[in-house]
Amino acid sequence: MSVLARSVGNAFRNKIRTAAVVAVLAVAIGLALAMLVANQAVGAKVQELNASVGTTLTVNPAGGQGFEGGGEPLTTAEAETAASVANVTAVVGTKALRLQTATTADSSTATTQPGPGGGFGPGGQQATVSTNLMAAVDAGTLGNRNGSAGTTGATGTSGTTTQPSRTLPITATGIGAEVDGTGKALDITSGTGLGDYTASEAKALVGTSLAEKNSLTVGSTFTIQDKTFTVAGIFDAGTTFGNNAVYVTLPEAQTLAETPDELSTMIVTVNSMENVDSTKTAVQAALGTDKADVTQGQRNLETAVSSLDSVKNISLIAFIAALATAGIIILLIMVMLVRERRREIGVLKAIGARNRTIGLQFVLESLVLVALGSVVGAVIASLASGGIASALISSNTTTTAATTTQRGGGLAGAMPNGAVPGGGMPGGGMGGGQGGPFGGASQLLTSVTASVSPGVLAAGIAAVFAVAIIGALVPALLTARIRPIEVLRGE
Amino acid sequence: MIVVKDLVRQFKSGDRTIKPVNGVSFELEKGSLASIVGKSGSGKSTLLSLLGALDKPTSGDVVVDGVSLAGLPDGKLTEYRRRDIGFVFQQFNLIPNLSAVDNVMLPMEFAGVRKAARLQRAKELLEQVQLDPEKHSRRTNRLSGGEQQRVAIARALANEPKLILADEPTGNLDEQTGEHIIELLSSLSRDHNTTILVVTHDRSLAQKTERCFRLQQGKLTEEVRTGSRR
Ligand SMILES: Nc1ncnc2c1ncn2[C@@H]1O[C@H](COP(=O)(O)OP(=O)(O)OP(=O)(O)O)[C@@H](O)[C@H]1O
Ligand SMILES: [Mg+2]
Repeated sequence: MSVLARSVGNAFRNKIRTAAVVAVLAVAIGLALAMLVANQAVGAKVQELNASVGTTLTVNPAGGQGFEGGGEPLTTAEAETAASVANVTAVVGTKALRLQTATTADSSTATTQPGPGGGFGPGGQQATVSTNLMAAVDAGTLGNRNGSAGTTGATGTSGTTTQPSRTLPITATGIGAEVDGTGKALDITSGTGLGDYTASEAKALVGTSLAEKNSLTVGSTFTIQDKTFTVAGIFDAGTTFGNNAVYVTLPEAQTLAETPDELSTMIVTVNSMENVDSTKTAVQAALGTDKADVTQGQRNLETAVSSLDSVKNISLIAFIAALATAGIIILLIMVMLVRERRREIGVLKAIGARNRTIGLQFVLESLVLVALGSVVGAVIASLASGGIASALISSNTTTTAATTTQRGGGLAGAMPNGAVPGGGMPGGGMGGGQGGPFGGASQLLTSVTASVSPGVLAAGIAAVFAVAIIGALVPALLTARIRPIEVLRGE
Repeated sequence: MIVVKDLVRQFKSGDRTIKPVNGVSFELEKGSLASIVGKSGSGKSTLLSLLGALDKPTSGDVVVDGVSLAGLPDGKLTEYRRRDIGFVFQQFNLIPNLSAVDNVMLPMEFAGVRKAARLQRAKELLEQVQLDPEKHSRRTNRLSGGEQQRVAIARALANEPKLILADEPTGNLDEQTGEHIIELLSSLSRDHNTTILVVTHDRSLAQKTERCFRLQQGKLTEEVRTGSRR
């Protein structure tokens, strides 16, 4: 018979009461654990949002965006200016190219060769160059509509011949780091990156669908403007449009466009979510309002993050409250048990038990109750936490979630530098993106899945035990004040 | 080995104070077997609790083997109770949800005796007090009064104390079993030089002790033996 065995035995002395205590404890502990799981899930989501899209700014030439608009192009010097602004952690320059498939060698090349001469064509930004690649996206209605619009625009500079069926252009972007046009890291599914993105090299990253369409694998070659490029890697952007693209190094794109030092866009990464607004103003001021437009990539996500943050806070408070409740339950139960067993404690002292032996016995007894409560509570938590998390979130975001229907590429469409959203170039794609801001946010919110991870559960149970020990310590210390003479007193 | 000097213990009950022990002095040699008799409510249990360091006197002192209890801190008093004293309570005071053996093993556990050793000694002691072996592992709240009393005696003997204080150890026993317990106690005092002080209403037990005290109105007086039989 050891102290532990005695404690376990004492915990089950009154079985009905033990069952009641365990049930009450289980509810408190289960609630605490569910809240902790919800808190962790929401916290992870907030972090993910902040890390991926929340902290990037996009700089476009004033008056221009993507291939549209006018104004003066951005330069590498301006990229350095932006980089020197406080709280800016990185500036990545991109240079967009429009690749036009050379279907028939003579006529098409002639038509799509305004590069050197008519460099400042429709958007002033794009340089249209030829390629032997076929676009992975069919033109469809939107594409053909855009095509005719584009042709009209082009007629101004070079009298174009009629094109019966227009192939869609492919976007090639020169990038200064291994990120896509929005500043997100590229997901390279096979092969490698381009290595040094600041050096000119005839290597390229090709989107999965484009690679498939043209039967390209790592090591294959294709041409842009009669120059042979080797496929260094295949990436997956996650969207059909995003995968119909090519990335080359920034200097390479600038050379192809014959516009060295020119940038289509700069992606400015800010060190934290809180500094995004102030940094946006600072970058705008540093570059001059007449030179550049600074926009925040995911404006709408700020609201999403702040509502998630409040959910996170609520769940944290609820966790602490439930934990404190469990502690108080233990405290009261143990105070009751100590009072009830006054005489027995007196007996133990009378036959020579040390105060700490008796105190330990009571703490262990409370831990037995908490252990049982935790087991039942963990089961309750794993059943309830998913429901609790989604209930918390949906009650915070019903308005946003209800309003939108997700349209294809909604998120990409919302990104200013998604360059050419959807299937069509200037028109329809942007329209499709309108639903995006909220659509994207609600999608992110509903994807907060409160899965019960063993690590979080273990941490929660450890916290419960810590609280239980604190709760049991007070009554355990009270036993030290009980005098052995209690044995001679009646119950 | 035990010297009691002018011991007083008073209680406040309502507006008046009662003094069940009021200036008690006596000495006991090592290995002696003594008894205390007195009317119910005369203060016998109170006196015993003072000797066993369960309670603190209002004034006066108990000196055991030259050590004054009044000067000892609580930790030392616990050690004194654990090591030197075997107390048989009038109400037995066994731990109800533990078996007889576990109850007897408790003081040995507190004294740090190894598990196997204390189990063996507990069984021996229970045999010495004539508890049926099949009742050794029975929970003590399922034992009869007399059986509980014998378990309580076995528990008091567990750590081989040098002073046994027994409050009516034969009160719930039949004559024959009572005789046996008296025999057990007197053999301990003879063979192990254990000092034994028993409180009793049992005339036959009182007559078998070497010395007999009477507690009356807070004072202790030694009974003068008519015959010198032992
Ligand atoms: N804690 C206490 N508070 C007040 N009075 C007490 C207290 N403890 C004992 N007394 C009183 O002291 C007196 C002596 O009690 P004690 O238990 O010592 O008697 P006793 O001689 O053992 O009697 P019995 O033979 O019936 O066991 C009694 O009158 C009792 O009411
Ligand atoms: Mg008494």
